[in-house]
Amino acid sequence: METRGVDQKPLRDAVPGRMDAPEVTLANSREAGAGSQHLTPDGPPCPEQAGLPGAPRPVPCGRARCACRSGLSACAQRGAEPLIAMESAEAEPSESRPEEDGAVPASDLPLPEQPAATMEDCLAKKMEITVSEAEKRTGRNAMNMQETYTAYLIETRAVESQNEGQCSPVDSLWRRYSEFELLRNYLLVTYPHIVVPPLPEKRADFVWHKLSADNMDPDFVERRRIGLENFLLRVASHPVLCQDKIFYSFLTQEGGWKEMVNETGFQLKADSRLKALNATFRVKNPDKRFTELKHYSDELQSVISHLLRVRARVADRLYGVYKVHGNYGRVFSEWSAIEKEMGDGLQSAGHHMDVYAASIDDILEEEEHYADQLKEYLFYAEALRAVCRKHELMQYDLEMAAQDLTSKKQQCEELATGTVRTFSLKGMTSKLFGQETPEQREAKIKVLEEQIQEGEEQLKSKNLEGRDFVKSAWADIERFKEQKNHDLKEALISYAVMQISMCKKGIQVWTNAKECFGKM
Amino acid sequence: MSGGAAGIPKPLPSSGPKSLREMPHPLATSSSEEMGPALTPSPDLLLPRSIADKDLSLPNGTPVDTSSPASSSSLLNRLQLDDDLDGETKDLFVTVDDPKKHVCTMETYITYRVTTKTTRAEFDLPEYSVRRRYQDFDWLRNKLEESQPTHLIPPLPEKFVVKGVVDRFSEEFVETRRKALDKFLKRITDHPVLSFNEHFNVFLTAKDLNAYKKQGMALLSKMGESVKYVTGGYKLRSRPLEFAAIGEYLDTFSLKLGTIDRIAQRIIKEQLEYLVELREYGPIYSTWGGLEVELSEPLEGVSACIGNCCTALEELSEDMTDDFLPVLREYILYSESMKNVLKKRDQVQAEYEAKLEAVALKKEDRPKVPTDVEKCQDRVECFNADLKADMERWQNNKRQDFRQLLMGMADKNIQYYEKCLTAWESIIPLLQDKPETK
Repeated sequence: METRGVDQKPLRDAVPGRMDAPEVTLANSREAGAGSQHLTPDGPPCPEQAGLPGAPRPVPCGRARCACRSGLSACAQRGAEPLIAMESAEAEPSESRPEEDGAVPASDLPLPEQPAATMEDCLAKKMEITVSEAEKRTGRNAMNMQETYTAYLIETRAVESQNEGQCSPVDSLWRRYSEFELLRNYLLVTYPHIVVPPLPEKRADFVWHKLSADNMDPDFVERRRIGLENFLLRVASHPVLCQDKIFYSFLTQEGGWKEMVNETGFQLKADSRLKALNATFRVKNPDKRFTELKHYSDELQSVISHLLRVRARVADRLYGVYKVHGNYGRVFSEWSAIEKEMGDGLQSAGHHMDVYAASIDDILEEEEHYADQLKEYLFYAEALRAVCRKHELMQYDLEMAAQDLTSKKQQCEELATGTVRTFSLKGMTSKLFGQETPEQREAKIKVLEEQIQEGEEQLKSKNLEGRDFVKSAWADIERFKEQKNHDLKEALISYAVMQISMCKKGIQVWTNAKECFGKM
Repeated sequence: MSGGAAGIPKPLPSSGPKSLREMPHPLATSSSEEMGPALTPSPDLLLPRSIADKDLSLPNGTPVDTSSPASSSSLLNRLQLDDDLDGETKDLFVTVDDPKKHVCTMETYITYRVTTKTTRAEFDLPEYSVRRRYQDFDWLRNKLEESQPTHLIPPLPEKFVVKGVVDRFSEEFVETRRKALDKFLKRITDHPVLSFNEHFNVFLTAKDLNAYKKQGMALLSKMGESVKYVTGGYKLRSRPLEFAAIGEYLDTFSLKLGTIDRIAQRIIKEQLEYLVELREYGPIYSTWGGLEVELSEPLEGVSACIGNCCTALEELSEDMTDDFLPVLREYILYSESMKNVLKKRDQVQAEYEAKLEAVALKKEDRPKVPTDVEKCQDRVECFNADLKADMERWQNNKRQDFRQLLMGMADKNIQYYEKCLTAWESIIPLLQDKPETK
């Protein structure tokens, strides 16, 4: 279990503002752990408030304390409403390129200046989500070749917070890792301003010798199952992402989901890598905060990978130290056979050495969970980078559009005044091949003027989009920072607790052994 | 004279408080016929426990600090052999300490101060303090082996150290050696026969040992020494059961010790490799802390904590190397030398049996021959008795030594974990600390 399980936190203070659901499930404890600890009196900002590009259209959000400015406070009650709420949303595809929403007037845009508040009203609160099982399957792939893969069982159940005695039925469906990947890619493209939670690693990385790097290894599969559950809970507790219809269907609709996702056409809207790379190098004036964030996420990636690599080596060595002690057990036993008074003491001490040697397995197993927590943030760093890249892209786009506009204006001016300020092929050819007729020039100017007007409108909307993006992205980044600080602190605490437990076990074993030696 | 400790009428050097007959057999138990008036308290009664309760001071009067386990175990180390026949009446105390480096034109070497306190009449003065180097100890041991061939002579720490690999002048090496040399002399001191040896006396008292060494055989006057145990080529048909058992025991024992030595070395090696990784691991948290704001302190804390664990681990490995391994090796050497004594005993017996056979074949009844054979028989019996006695005493000492050694090993590990525990527990509050709300 991830260390967010309630039972594993003897030292953690009660989270202020965390609501106690009747069923204290991983879902709830995860959500409290994953989210911020703050309560804002105004309630969480609804996606529709933010009018964020790419957010789903206004939806009766089902939140009790919704401060919707859009007046949609005819909010559905809590409980088994989400279905209805989601269904009525319909029609509008949830993804949209910023360009399409460009015309949103600035005054309607609220400024979420504080980080997203509690996750109380997110999907995670309304619905229990678990990835409860993993199963090996064989099937045929796209090329009609046989393949083996693992399928994961997703179980969902609506949380009845009012009615204690009642338990709603559990829905379940099977998904494989590639479908999770598809979901995530969809979210990445659809919500480029959001730091999208990462998936657990595809292949076992940072292994130390005892763990196999095999994808079919039961321990690996188990840890992946936990990681996938964690992913779903992260998404379900995100104020924006949890609203997504495709996400909801992923959880609830077995058949036809893939088709549904593909129909959104999100793949077409993905920015190409090349384009993004180009923008990164050429952008002139990105927001400084994003530049800093980019550096931070690069360094974070680097430091966490280093940490994980060395940790694996440390685990390897520690394993060796403990296991060699097991040899004492055997030799003490053999020695005790030739001794009279010393025999018993030696023999029983040897037994304790065996216990000591065996204890390392559980210790390192637990530590893997800590490593997984670090890995999540290693992958989160990549998601941060993605948001920065998007900003750079948009900024570059804006700069290009501005540049284009400027050049067109210049051209227009040149045509109008007849002066050639800058070298242009047209100018040269016209010099070489003779001037154009006044009519031709007029026509050109007219065309240019139209283009300029269009360009100015576009520039204005691009500017707006850019600003929106920065605002909303930064809001999510702040939310993410809080989450990260909280989670990593918890992880460090649990790591310290693990070390303390290991030390205490060590003291115990050696004290027992000492007693036995004393009886020799 | 019938059996017992005085099979051969050699004038025993002791003119101490008791006469020969009154002196208890080295291992006087109820099963022995030669029970002297002063019964030896059984070794178990004088367990370190009781010693530790007393108001302790070292033989030279320095009060002992028993508060820390380290000091009490070293005290025990000094006193643990003080458990047998002399008990309350121990009259000879020897200590090795104060190593000093001497730089001469020809060579550089270390000397140790050997301090003696005694009430024995064999010593002219009640106190002596001399300086001795390893060579001198080696000489002493050889002399003892020569002059007391029927007894088990304690081992010395290894003579040769590979130059370049081990620093002969490092503090740890010198200290390890000092402890072993101290142990060596104390074992001799506690031996009822060896402690009265002439050479031992000279070793403890002579200002100029080299002069004495040169005199060589000049002081040889003891019959015990003149009896040459040079027996040529006699092959023993079969070892008597009890000595065969001892031989087998020693074989298995040294085998097991060898295994334990290898395991301990392996553990130390693994620990050091673990340490190398830890030393890289800790600072990464610090680097990370440099990137963060809110997490900066917690991460630094973890980094420092790991650093503390590294220090503790280093100490553990050093202790094991300096204190544990040498004692193991000492016992392996001990077993080897004991096996050699067994072989010598075999030869003595073989000589006797061969001569006996020869006599039986000759069918002569000249008085000369029987005396010769009788001498051999006496020799055999004397050897057997000495060896058995020493063997029993060795077993007891071994048991105490290993109890102490292994408890010490457990203790060191406990201390290591306690240090780490303290480090980790101390950072929990730091990790839990909530920053000021923005």
